[in-house]
Amino acid sequence: MEMDRESGKLEQIVSQFRSKILHVILDSRVPSLHHHHHQQQQESLSHSRVRKTDKWFNLVLGDRPPALENLNFSLRNLFDPMVIDIILVHRGSCSSSVDNLYSPSAPAAGPADETVIERWVVQYDCPRFIATPSGADACVSYKKIYKKSIILLRSLYTQMRLLPAYRIFKQLSSLSQTYNFDLVYKVSSFSHPFSREEESGMKEYIFAPVEALSGCLSVSVTYRATLSDFNLEPLVSLPPKIITDYVGSPTTDPMRSFPSSDKGAHATSFPLRGARPPSSSPFQRPHSWSSGFHRGFPSTKTQSLAGSPPVYRISPKPYDIASPPTDLYGNRIQNQRVSTLQQVTAYDEYKSSPPFSPSASPSTPSYLSGTNPLRTRHCSETAPVTIPLPLTGRSTRYLSPNSSDPSRHSLPPLSPRSSKHDASSQESPSGIRSYRKIEALRAGESPSGLSNNYSAQKVVRDSKDDSGRFSALLSSSGSPRIGFSRSSSRLSFQDDMDDCEFSCPFDVDDVDVSDSSSQNTEGKKASEFTAQSNLVGKKSHDAAVGILVHMLRTAPPLRQDSSCYSTHSLRTEYEGGVSIASGFFMPRKTADALEELNSYREMKDLLLSKSGTRVVRKEEIK
Amino acid sequence: MNCEVCQLKELEVEHFEIREVLRCILHTIVFHRALGLVRPKDVDLELFEITYVQCGDVELEKKIDEKIDHFISWVEKHPNKKSQICLSFYEVKSKQPSWFTNKTERLYWEQWYINLNVTQHPKHHSSKSHHTKLVVDPGESATEERSSRRAMVEASLREVLFQIIKFVNEKKDHVPPISEGVIYFPYEITIPRKFQ
Repeated sequence: MEMDRESGKLEQIVSQFRSKILHVILDSRVPSLHHHHHQQQQESLSHSRVRKTDKWFNLVLGDRPPALENLNFSLRNLFDPMVIDIILVHRGSCSSSVDNLYSPSAPAAGPADETVIERWVVQYDCPRFIATPSGADACVSYKKIYKKSIILLRSLYTQMRLLPAYRIFKQLSSLSQTYNFDLVYKVSSFSHPFSREEESGMKEYIFAPVEALSGCLSVSVTYRATLSDFNLEPLVSLPPKIITDYVGSPTTDPMRSFPSSDKGAHATSFPLRGARPPSSSPFQRPHSWSSGFHRGFPSTKTQSLAGSPPVYRISPKPYDIASPPTDLYGNRIQNQRVSTLQQVTAYDEYKSSPPFSPSASPSTPSYLSGTNPLRTRHCSETAPVTIPLPLTGRSTRYLSPNSSDPSRHSLPPLSPRSSKHDASSQESPSGIRSYRKIEALRAGESPSGLSNNYSAQKVVRDSKDDSGRFSALLSSSGSPRIGFSRSSSRLSFQDDMDDCEFSCPFDVDDVDVSDSSSQNTEGKKASEFTAQSNLVGKKSHDAAVGILVHMLRTAPPLRQDSSCYSTHSLRTEYEGGVSIASGFFMPRKTADALEELNSYREMKDLLLSKSGTRVVRKEEIK
Repeated sequence: MNCEVCQLKELEVEHFEIREVLRCILHTIVFHRALGLVRPKDVDLELFEITYVQCGDVELEKKIDEKIDHFISWVEKHPNKKSQICLSFYEVKSKQPSWFTNKTERLYWEQWYINLNVTQHPKHHSSKSHHTKLVVDPGESATEERSSRRAMVEASLREVLFQIIKFVNEKKDHVPPISEGVIYFPYEITIPRKFQ
């Protein structure tokens, strides 16, 4: 009975030894498992917990890979050798990372060369003659065997880092590069003999066996002495491409969808570049926002600007050798290997895959989701829009993040990230137009009242909002609320855009900046008065158009002399008693003219008073 | 109990390589003799493409570094001399207590001798402080010579590590039993007197 207990312990030692060795080997040779283990190790280090499996042979390795349990089950017979082949898979040279992106489901182009670079054999041999030690001797025996097994495991652990394959493992484990090689493993209870050619380049090292009374535990390794023949080439990644003329999503750009109105908005709407509908616009050029938002995967972190490519360089899963027949292992492994190599679209692989370059991302949605990228994009992307200047004739002026000439561009400068929009915008068409108003405001000398409204305000950027609209509260000092319809992770605004409040299209534009006038929220005449003076390169695009249209529709025939629109003219008029400020020309009596003048004066006073300017009239002086 | 002695192959190193080489060798030996519960820690050498394993004990690391510092200062005082550093493992045995003595005795059961030949080449500067005084135009030949020399040292170091693995595998019977709660066997690092 004592003997049975001791032999049971010995078997347990041998069984655990095999599992531990397998764990050490896989952890030092298979990059995917190493990443998994490394993460867990970080966690366990912080928690300082030691698992039961770690205590075996006093070597803390972390959680065993799940596949290890299956392997243990299938290799239960301790007297069967455990053969672990480390295979270097070299993808065909004609395949490239880009090809893999576009044809994920197809087998990798070119043949995949497989070379066994290491073969570990763990064997527990049953001796011909089994001595039957006494109880005390048996107890000492298994303790000694356990101690020797610990030493053997230590030396194996060290040896693994000195063999040539470790360098390849480290390279492939690097997350900064992807290679055209994979390191995979195969565990079986038999080994295919090497060919002569293979044997010629291999060396063998046999660890000193641990001799037990009931068996002899031995470990040996056959390895390729040199791996310089394998040229580990980092895969060429698509260089990042900066879209310099990126404007933004048309759906978030109110310019693109002016409402049909009698005001002739269409006539004055800014022509889109190419004037194409949203559905076709995304195909014109790549969009960097498309990298991670249409894949339907829970995590988009791996698909940020850096993107996340399919994994093709590592064997994502160990070969599950749960099926008992040993001769099927090879086939099963082969099939699994092919299928796993093809399984580059699996989301799970993204966790251990290195980032891709942003410009590669446009191709990845199709690769990953298998859908038509055009269709995919249509749901959430819009084409960039060229916003031409309305009155300057620069119809092809693009927004650029660095445009700094407020008099030239019609939209405030946008940061590149802020230009990326999601198509779920519900923004009003006046969004951009109103946005320009703000830019004009900031560029010009706004009255103090107005500046109080805007200069102190910060943009309220809700990065979680996927849709939003420009909403302007021009007349009040309510806090501005701006939401852009764009991808949440790409929201970014320049400071210039912070102070924005926008009105509906063609509203009376009371945020126009002029040298002398302030905002005017009342009356057509006031708007005319202000609109005219605002047109000099400082108004927002939309506002300019709206005002112009309004003026044209409502204003009486204009006088040719436009100089009377200025304040200076007003004063002159006042002094000279000539009513030309409004630009109206009709035969009137002097009284009518005076009356009109007075009304203008009052209006002017009102406007100036709002801005804090005190108007001292001649009359008052008198 | 026998005291097993292992004379490691002599390494020809430059002054600035001493620390890395000694750390690598000493930690590798101790890792094979730290039979308690350890959390192995891989360490990549900076000067060579070699990864060795530490047993992750901070105290041990500190002690080893102290001994290496001590050795380096000795080498600086005795330049261009072959040097040796000895790592010994022992058991503490208490002598039979008597009225006069109550001493403990160290029974060494294993000794490792690390043989170094610290060179200071006039062409190749052996100390870090002289790195700024490089030859004005070393040329490609000097660079090639330096890199080939570095490769030789790396190969030699790798051989030494294999030697350690071979030794610990072949000689296991003399290792004392593992005590509960003890991570590594008591050890000491010394510079043999004949070299002092």
